[in-house]
Amino acid sequence: MKLQDPIGRWGSLAPWVAMPLALALVTFVGHWAGANAPTIGSIYLVAVLGLAAWGGWAVGATASLAAMLCFNYFFLPPTGTLTIAEPANWVALISFLIASTFASRLVATARREAAEAQRRRQEVEILYELSFALFAVSQRPGVLGEAAARTLRAIGADSGLLLLGDTDSSMETASTVGEPVETEEAALREARESRRLVERGDLVYVPLEVGGTLHGVLVARGTSAPRTVLEPAGRLLGLAVERERLLAEAAHLEAMRESDTLKTSLLRAVSHDLRTPLTTMRLEIESLERQLEGHPQARASVRGLSLEQERLSRRIDNLLSLARLEGGVARPHPEPVPPASLFRAARESLALILAGRPVEALVDPRCPDLWADPSLTLEALVNLLENAARATPPDRPIEIAAGPAPQGVWIEVRDRGPGLPAGVRRLLESPRDPRRTAESGDSASGGLGLRIVQGLVEANGGALALLDRPGGGTIARLTLPAAPEPEEIEI
Amino acid sequence: MSRANPLILVIDDDPSIRQTLTRELALAGYDALAAADGVEGKALYEERRPDLVITDLAMPRADGHAVIAAVRRMDEATPILVLSVRGEEEDKVRALDLGADDYVTKPFSLRELLARVRTQLRRSGAGAAPEVLRFPDLEIDLARRAVTQDGREVRLTPTEFAILELLAGQAGRPITLRQIIATVWKGAPATTADTVRVHVGSLRRKLEPEPANPRYIGTEPWVGYRFLAEPEEG
Repeated sequence: MKLQDPIGRWGSLAPWVAMPLALALVTFVGHWAGANAPTIGSIYLVAVLGLAAWGGWAVGATASLAAMLCFNYFFLPPTGTLTIAEPANWVALISFLIASTFASRLVATARREAAEAQRRRQEVEILYELSFALFAVSQRPGVLGEAAARTLRAIGADSGLLLLGDTDSSMETASTVGEPVETEEAALREARESRRLVERGDLVYVPLEVGGTLHGVLVARGTSAPRTVLEPAGRLLGLAVERERLLAEAAHLEAMRESDTLKTSLLRAVSHDLRTPLTTMRLEIESLERQLEGHPQARASVRGLSLEQERLSRRIDNLLSLARLEGGVARPHPEPVPPASLFRAARESLALILAGRPVEALVDPRCPDLWADPSLTLEALVNLLENAARATPPDRPIEIAAGPAPQGVWIEVRDRGPGLPAGVRRLLESPRDPRRTAESGDSASGGLGLRIVQGLVEANGGALALLDRPGGGTIARLTLPAAPEPEEIEI
Repeated sequence: MSRANPLILVIDDDPSIRQTLTRELALAGYDALAAADGVEGKALYEERRPDLVITDLAMPRADGHAVIAAVRRMDEATPILVLSVRGEEEDKVRALDLGADDYVTKPFSLRELLARVRTQLRRSGAGAAPEVLRFPDLEIDLARRAVTQDGREVRLTPTEFAILELLAGQAGRPITLRQIIATVWKGAPATTADTVRVHVGSLRRKLEPEPANPRYIGTEPWVGYRFLAEPEEG
């Protein structure tokens, strides 16, 4: 659809040419028929109204004046002069002039308003068709090119191009329609920065702005559409661009969600498949222990088996926890954890390793609860306790202690081992990347275990530090956030 | 139902766990039957009405949650023990909320499992709830709503007493926060986990000789609380 302007400011030339002819015709017919003055006056009035409706207010006003002169000259006595003998005819002549001027004014206004309404209807139709064309298309490759082509067609442009982006460097051509168009850098920038329509030669630069965000610029050649059409068309195309962007984002998010679901179910399956045989092993080992009552040597071997089975379980726990954290499929779920419960659970987890070994647990009475994921924190503590048990001679005690720290809670595992190998300390201070540790085969005793502890504790918002213990041995110190003190409730 | 030995139904999709568990339960003096998935488990439960159910959670066809729901529809009292896996704590809490009585985490020890089985069978066979719950150094008189510790009366608020009654009445059983809110606050919508923690904290201060190292009310990570002391016989 092409937009036309139905009336110019002065209309076309035709009504001006028609005016003398129409007045001459009325004068001639009036003479020929010998009609009286009032009849002639009304015929002139009809002609003036017709001319005003056709040619507008200026034609109507001129025709009124000319008709008044003809009326006076040819029909009001004395005829053939522009003078009037009877005062009554003065009244008739002035009444005619006023009536014809007002009426032609009214007719011309009505005509102009009808034309304006027609123009607005056409604009709305164009925009409606455009919005329908833009949003009825389903998401598929090349849809933006098609949207640009439809917009250019709707505004009556013969060619153009769609540029996406909002800066000089980020702008790129998304699609070209028709003959190649040479854009002007300065005009493009002006359209982008002012967010207003810019006209340069036969090109119009339409910014595609939606809700304050600029998505790009549409450059159109040969359009005669007014600003009132071009600006909303630009916004519609902007909406189409934004819709494409959101659809692409949604598809990306969906893909990520699916990948997370896949990772989660994979980890679940692995975890189930690894732990089920471990459970059977443990049950069978216990059964063997019972059956070997009275065979101390064989029982010692079974006990060794049992320790190894437990160690394997813990390593699998460690690896699965790390895989969950690093795969981003599990976030720590912090809750208030009393240090004493944590200590009890850790000792239960290491019942075999700690059997017959003195372990001293000290919790400062002022120590608040931890704010941490209970399973991950327990796992970290079990690893530290296991390291301490390995390092400390069987008859020397291991201490676990907890107390309030300035920023939370500290937990220490203190051993009387040979102290920390320098390699392990370096490992903890280097940038954290467990894969590198695993690949480089860094087997510094306890290194990987400590690395895992560090990962678990950091995921809980805490830190691990290794200190030399006065009198020999190592202190592994965890600092973790404290649980917020629940507000006292009126009981 | 009178049986010489308690009958235990084991539901797990792994054949080696089924086999080992039924064998060990038999050696421990129980009669044991096994089912390979939830559908078979529900059918066997309906047919044989065992005294206790041990079920895995992740299983093909009907899973452990479906088994718990089905058993609870048929019977309120049969104890249900869940075999859970670390890292799937939400599943465990859901199982407890559905009506499971306790859980062990794979790989669990046989000793631990048998201890839980004994506790559950004793609780379910205890008959009508006694009017007075007796623990070492602690007596809870449910009729008088009075608590005596080492011969001294401990003054508790009604809410604290209600929590203590719920936990101690099912000593040894993990009670989820949701269950506490449902029982003590009748599920009042404004009650949150923090509300429960505040009341448990003040209960501990009144009851525990060392609140930082609780002897009666243990925190069960992820789940809620468990009353730790063993009830005294009689």
